[in-house]
Amino acid sequence: MDKSMTSMVVRVGDGLTSVIDIRGDVTAASEPALMAAYEEASRQGARRLVLNFSDLKYMNSGGIGMLVTLLVRANRQHQPLAAYGLSDHYREIFELTRLDEAIGIYDDEPSALAG
Amino acid sequence: MNPVACSAPRRLASFALASVPGSERVALAQVADSVADLNLPPRRLDKLKTAVAEATMNAIEHGNDNRPDLAVDIEVFYSGTEIIVTVTDHGGREGSGWADRGDDTEIPDLDRKLSGDQGPRGWGLFLIRHMVDGMEVTAEGEHRTVRLTIRTPVPGG
Repeated sequence: MDKSMTSMVVRVGDGLTSVIDIRGDVTAASEPALMAAYEEASRQGARRLVLNFSDLKYMNSGGIGMLVTLLVRANRQHQPLAAYGLSDHYREIFELTRLDEAIGIYDDEPSALAG
Repeated sequence: MNPVACSAPRRLASFALASVPGSERVALAQVADSVADLNLPPRRLDKLKTAVAEATMNAIEHGNDNRPDLAVDIEVFYSGTEIIVTVTDHGGREGSGWADRGDDTEIPDLDRKLSGDQGPRGWGLFLIRHMVDGMEVTAEGEHRTVRLTIRTPVPGG
């Protein structure tokens, strides 16, 4: 029931920035898909990553843990993370967990790419 | 005293779910359906849904050790001023120790997680506590119950 409810699509955003379009659920079960997307973006030479949450349906504590894992990996490679498309609810959760201090939060894609 | 606030809580829903991944999604949907007529503001409803999903996940993973044969029992009540959701598992049985194990008993700290001092997970109880107005855990025999309360707008207020 918890599988195959996530899709991650990597695309070139702007220069050396890659955008990962996250569709569906972000839970612990999404980790293989997100890490594969991260690796693909890195192979493409991404120096910076933007996570697009516009089509996020559901995120739980396991998903937050997975984002922490992604942050650790990206920090090691000196790849800053940004995000946009979060609903007010998930934006609040990013503030509570202080993920917003480690991941730049923007209102839309142009702002995130310019960030 | 407000007579509405003093009335006995009315049960809105009662259901049981198997301890399998994904049941938390069913729980949040059924709880949301059961309170649909109470005009909870959307932001409050989102918080209730997140708290219910996290409490159900804890029940499945830590209380029932992911055993599909052990049910998670969920009840929803409305008192006139509060929605009360109880999530009951088998975490009080011998060999289980829901409250005494796992990263969830440690206050999560992002800096420590990023430096490797803490594991990346362990946000569940933290989220629940910040989503609802009250959370308490009680145990009776082998059953352990998490009781979540969230205040509702005063009728006509």
